[in-house]
Amino acid sequence: MQRRSFFAGAATAVAAASVSRVALAALPEPASQSSAETAAPLVPPNGRPYRPVVTLNGWTTPWRMNHGVKEFHLVAEPVVREVAPGFSVNMWGYNGQSPGPTIEVVEGDRVRIFVTNRLPEHTTIHWHGQRLPNGMDGVGGLTQPHIAPGKTFVYDFVARRPGTFMYHPHADEMTQMAMGMMGLWITHPKAAHPLIANVDRDYAFLLSAYDVEPGAMTPRVNEMTDFNIWTFNSRVFPAISPLVAKQGDRVRMRVGNLTMTNHPIHIHGHEFEVTGTDGGPVPKTARWPEVTTDVAVGQMRQMEFIADELGDWAMHCHKSHHTMGAMGHDVPTMIGVDHRGLVSKIQKIVPDYMVMGERGMGDMGAMEMPLPDNTFPMMTGTGPFGPLEMGGMFTTLKVRAQLGASDYRDPGWFKHPQGTVAQEWTGAPPDSTAPRQTAPGTAPRAPSVRKPGTDGGHGSHH
Amino acid sequence: MRRLSVLAAALVLAGCASVSPDGLRGDVQEQTQSRLPKDAQLPSANSNAEADEQKRIGEWLQKPVDQDTAVRIALLNNPDLQVQLASLAVEDAERAQALTLFNPTLTLGRFTNAHEIEFERELAFGLVNIITLPWRSRWLGWQMERSTLQASQNVLTLAADTRRAWLRAVAAEQALIANEKMNDAAQLGAELARRMAAVGNFNRLQQARELSIAQESAAQLARARLNATLEREQLARLMGLWGTQTAFELPKQLPAIPKSASELRAGDDAEATALRERLDLRALRRDLDVTADRGGWSRVGAVFGDIGVTYSNNRAKDRESGHVEKTRGWELELPLPIFDWGGSASARTRAEVQRSAAQLQSAALRARSEARTNWSRYRTAWDLAHQQQAEVLPLAKQVQDETMLRYNGMFDSVWQLLAQARTTTQVVVNATNAQRDFWIAETDLQLALTGTSPGGIAPFAATTSNSNNNESGGH
Ligand SMILES: [Cu+2]
Repeated sequence: MQRRSFFAGAATAVAAASVSRVALAALPEPASQSSAETAAPLVPPNGRPYRPVVTLNGWTTPWRMNHGVKEFHLVAEPVVREVAPGFSVNMWGYNGQSPGPTIEVVEGDRVRIFVTNRLPEHTTIHWHGQRLPNGMDGVGGLTQPHIAPGKTFVYDFVARRPGTFMYHPHADEMTQMAMGMMGLWITHPKAAHPLIANVDRDYAFLLSAYDVEPGAMTPRVNEMTDFNIWTFNSRVFPAISPLVAKQGDRVRMRVGNLTMTNHPIHIHGHEFEVTGTDGGPVPKTARWPEVTTDVAVGQMRQMEFIADELGDWAMHCHKSHHTMGAMGHDVPTMIGVDHRGLVSKIQKIVPDYMVMGERGMGDMGAMEMPLPDNTFPMMTGTGPFGPLEMGGMFTTLKVRAQLGASDYRDPGWFKHPQGTVAQEWTGAPPDSTAPRQTAPGTAPRAPSVRKPGTDGGHGSHH
Repeated sequence: MRRLSVLAAALVLAGCASVSPDGLRGDVQEQTQSRLPKDAQLPSANSNAEADEQKRIGEWLQKPVDQDTAVRIALLNNPDLQVQLASLAVEDAERAQALTLFNPTLTLGRFTNAHEIEFERELAFGLVNIITLPWRSRWLGWQMERSTLQASQNVLTLAADTRRAWLRAVAAEQALIANEKMNDAAQLGAELARRMAAVGNFNRLQQARELSIAQESAAQLARARLNATLEREQLARLMGLWGTQTAFELPKQLPAIPKSASELRAGDDAEATALRERLDLRALRRDLDVTADRGGWSRVGAVFGDIGVTYSNNRAKDRESGHVEKTRGWELELPLPIFDWGGSASARTRAEVQRSAAQLQSAALRARSEARTNWSRYRTAWDLAHQQQAEVLPLAKQVQDETMLRYNGMFDSVWQLLAQARTTTQVVVNATNAQRDFWIAETDLQLALTGTSPGGIAPFAATTSNSNNNESGGH
């Protein structure tokens, strides 16, 4: 499991000093981050105060105040992202990470963002969801020239509208987003807002998907639909930090989707309301309770709920193959196939052979078999009761009675009160003589040689 | 008195032309010894030794027959070689016969007329026959040497053929075992596919596809089995084995190839070695010697034909007087070269010398080229075999291992795993074949450098030999 060390955000932001300081003399020093741990929220040191967000397995970039303007410096560059321990992917990102750092500002802030391109090709940044002058919208060729490799451009606008936004390239975006170029932008309201609640915990993450050949390191940028790595902030379960909350906390989740498909984000044990989109806060009259909300491609959703139920609650995308790691999409189904008499023969030819999948794929969660290098098992993660058989867009919401207000550390597994865990039935045994209706491979009313009372499995064929 | 001394000299020379007791096998053995495996022997001319030889062959066949032993057996046991060695002995006997002087002719006559009775006694010799005896003895000696060289080449060719057959037989057996493994993998895939279809996980098309792989594999196995049988038969044939003897065992594997290129034979002296060592070149050089030497004699023979010398001792008796009259004397019979002063004969000799020289030149050219090409083939065969050993096989193993890992991660199915196992086995077969080809190239190179042409003995050599035989027989 992941080691969760939280640390002060600004203090760990290390300068990337490989660009000439003279050349960048007039620019704010770009902060950089290489750890894939969740950084502690960045409490604003200056400017208008706000309650900062926690970026799952990410961080918020510090800024420089320059005559009342918040100046940021983003550096677009190749990075290596630890998607899970032992599984690293060559990506393109910003300031040492993919996704890039979260930018947090306050409604009405004048913002100046310097963007230095250290990629091998040109880029731009589009500020998804912002109201801004057309020439700051970052669409290469349409509203501005591309930022050539080695060049620095500056964007300058006012964060006019509070809400949850994203930034991403609008130049060769199919490649650049497939390589992980994206980041979150949060504009906090400058004052109390009737539609924006104060929350105790504010989590933010982006959904992204990659296609990495097992054993390779670089995503296949030409893939259009058949992705195999499904991530929150370019991390897969069990390497995604849990969302923790003190019992009774109001919790907000901000989710943005930069994959090529929709994701029904689902939470257990609680119901939430979608309180905002990238279009702004949702009128109260338009909200309804949900346990799953679909986040379509290119959309953002703000969900809010009261974490009042103690426990370790699953929180995940409800497309089941999005909670799996890489697997062969053409591997035939082996369920129910009789392997008797064949295994030892196959082992004579392929000594390390083991039967897999003849009872389903649940075994995969428990088996520890050698895989190609740099390949994360497709179903992994172990909970207090056994293998979780998950990988990808999955994490947990951990609600605890005792938790410090700024404590985001993983509190460990939930200790269930006596008698509140499902358990094996120890009463009267089930009626074991009930026959199966049909044997596999046989139509329901097809003639059968099966004797009543026997299990209709493959045993009866031989 | 002088005439007696000529006669005596001729008789002494004739006495020298005795038949070699072992049919020249010792000479052949001597020529080939250094080019054959240690202790390799030709069958003895003495038929009493045969039982002993068969016993030795029987002992060799108890153990798996290695390459050198195969050659030893073939040399002792190959019937074609025995035919050739016997022919050599026949030729040797013919030579001895050719050098025996023709018996002098004794002509006795009794003639009577009214008053005389005449007894005529003539002893006639073909003089040229006697005069040319030393020459002929020398040529025929050279010719036998040449025939011996020819037979030696046959021995070496047989040894090389046996080596190649052995290499092919062992490789074919290895390929057969690999094919059995490939077929096992294919049959397993088909059986698993059948079970998949039985529980509804495969449709008929998917099952049929796996089944067709198994069928193709079974056919390939049958071909591999036939090939192993044919190669083995070829080897048995060369070793002259039949009956229960053909149940001999072969080693499971070909000998390893040299580990590094530095252990290979260098190519820079290949041409010189071939020119120095090759037996076919020596044979042709002998041809040239003989043709050139015969130049002088052919003129004498052609101009004068046979010079007959006749000694007459006649006795005539007068019937009436009883007076006896004896006449003694020489008679020399000399054809007159009026129409042919030997011009055509010497032209022929000149042409023959030219032909011999050209043949030698051509063979030398061929030997040089064969030395170069066979060295290149040998060197390339090693590069290829070494690449198989050092690069291709490890890579195939890696692919197999990675496929196994991909199977573990459910990225690949068991059918892909089995297919990869089949591919890997095919790579092993290819590597074995490359190893075999290296040793075959090595055999060819040895033959090209020290024996004869690996492509077979040049046909013109046989023609030359025949024409010489015919001519010498003519006189
Ligand atoms: Cu999803």
